[in-house]
Amino acid sequence: MNRTIAVVTLLAASAMASDLTGKWSGTFKVDGGDHTVPQLFILKQQGKTLSGSGGPNAGEQYPIENGIIDGDEARFELTTGEWKFAYDLKQTAPGALSGTLKLQSVNDSRNATVSLTRSKGN
Amino acid sequence: MIAGAFLLVLGITGGILAFEPELDRLLHPHLSRVKPDVRTLSLVQIGEAASMKYGGEPVVAYLPSSSPDVPTEVILSSGVVSVNQYTGEVLGLRTRGQTVLGFMRALHIRLATGDIGRNILRWSTVLMLISLASGLYLWWPRKRIRIRGPWWSRLFWSDQHNSFGIFSLLPLLLLTATGIVIGFEDEVSSLLDKMYGTNPAHSSQTPARSEPSQGSTELTPDQAIAIARAQLPGALPYRLQMPRYGGLYVVSLAYSDNRIAAERNSISLDPRNGRIVAVNQSASLTPRERFLATNEAIHTGNILGMPTKIIAALASILLPLQVVSGLLIWIRRTNILRRG
Repeated sequence: MNRTIAVVTLLAASAMASDLTGKWSGTFKVDGGDHTVPQLFILKQQGKTLSGSGGPNAGEQYPIENGIIDGDEARFELTTGEWKFAYDLKQTAPGALSGTLKLQSVNDSRNATVSLTRSKGN
Repeated sequence: MIAGAFLLVLGITGGILAFEPELDRLLHPHLSRVKPDVRTLSLVQIGEAASMKYGGEPVVAYLPSSSPDVPTEVILSSGVVSVNQYTGEVLGLRTRGQTVLGFMRALHIRLATGDIGRNILRWSTVLMLISLASGLYLWWPRKRIRIRGPWWSRLFWSDQHNSFGIFSLLPLLLLTATGIVIGFEDEVSSLLDKMYGTNPAHSSQTPARSEPSQGSTELTPDQAIAIARAQLPGALPYRLQMPRYGGLYVVSLAYSDNRIAAERNSISLDPRNGRIVAVNQSASLTPRERFLATNEAIHTGNILGMPTKIIAALASILLPLQVVSGLLIWIRRTNILRRG
């Protein structure tokens, strides 16, 4: 019985920490902000390194910097210009990432919540 | 009275933020001024100087100089570098993070908190509008515009409240009404879209190219700017986004004689051949975008330049005084009533 529970737990953990390679879409909302902002990521995972690009849509993509995977957590950054986006996400379910985002300019710093799901067909 | 506390915050921070760019330059004098010279370096040279100084970081964007005595800025991932465009001297780096002015802005918009702070402030502006209307209603029968009595007397504060109130009424009404529009922007946008039948999805053009260019580019930043300037004669480039960051060169341009959405002109270029992929012009804004841009220009005081910025700042600074004098009048009146 104990062995079965251990196997199930291991399988669940490995499913949660699955490869993030692929397209992810969703939104973020800045605390105190007006509305949600669309997000589209094209991620590429190689071991514990995450690369690829992200932005508001397919036509506006920025390279992912300092991307790392730590268990079921993913951390990476994007610089769009005046703003730098630092994501701290966690796989909350298979095909679902959510967490926080810190936006920083040379004057301002804001926090946001992010929610992404894996796009179908990739 | 509680709303008064929030109006104090709005007034003080609004007065400061009216001159945010000027104060920002004052706080960073060594990064904000250069001695004009004859020969200007190319953006490539300026970018290389900045990148070399900070560990070879790639250039994200350029902010070309807006005036001969203002340096060109280069945006890197780690921050914004000021470079003397005549000598290539790197003046310094501004790292990312909240500054005093950033905190003032956060206080003004959301009490430096999240949704709760933002909701408190936007409803405080609604109360402010009611307060201004009631103030005018109370002032009208007496039409008092002079100050009498010693400063500690109730008469002095009553006269001050009436006189300053009537002189600052119009700018405060404008600041409050425009502040309400900003606070309820989503709701106002929906209303405007219903009125004008604008589909928000069609309000801006999306560049057609979908893949970012990761390799070297054939077109230089200076060439991209030259193409964009030829497309919009009379407009000055104030920003250039590098294709590695977004997939295309995006040149943002502004018309100096237009204060409403003047900066909302952009040309997107294919970095491989200079083909113009998208053009966004302030002249082709939707009614919703134009209304919101005009509203913002009134609220910030930018609508007519420095004179309206000064009026906006003065009206904002008068707001705390009106709140305090109103409170003093109310306290003294309450005390008199208690004494019978």
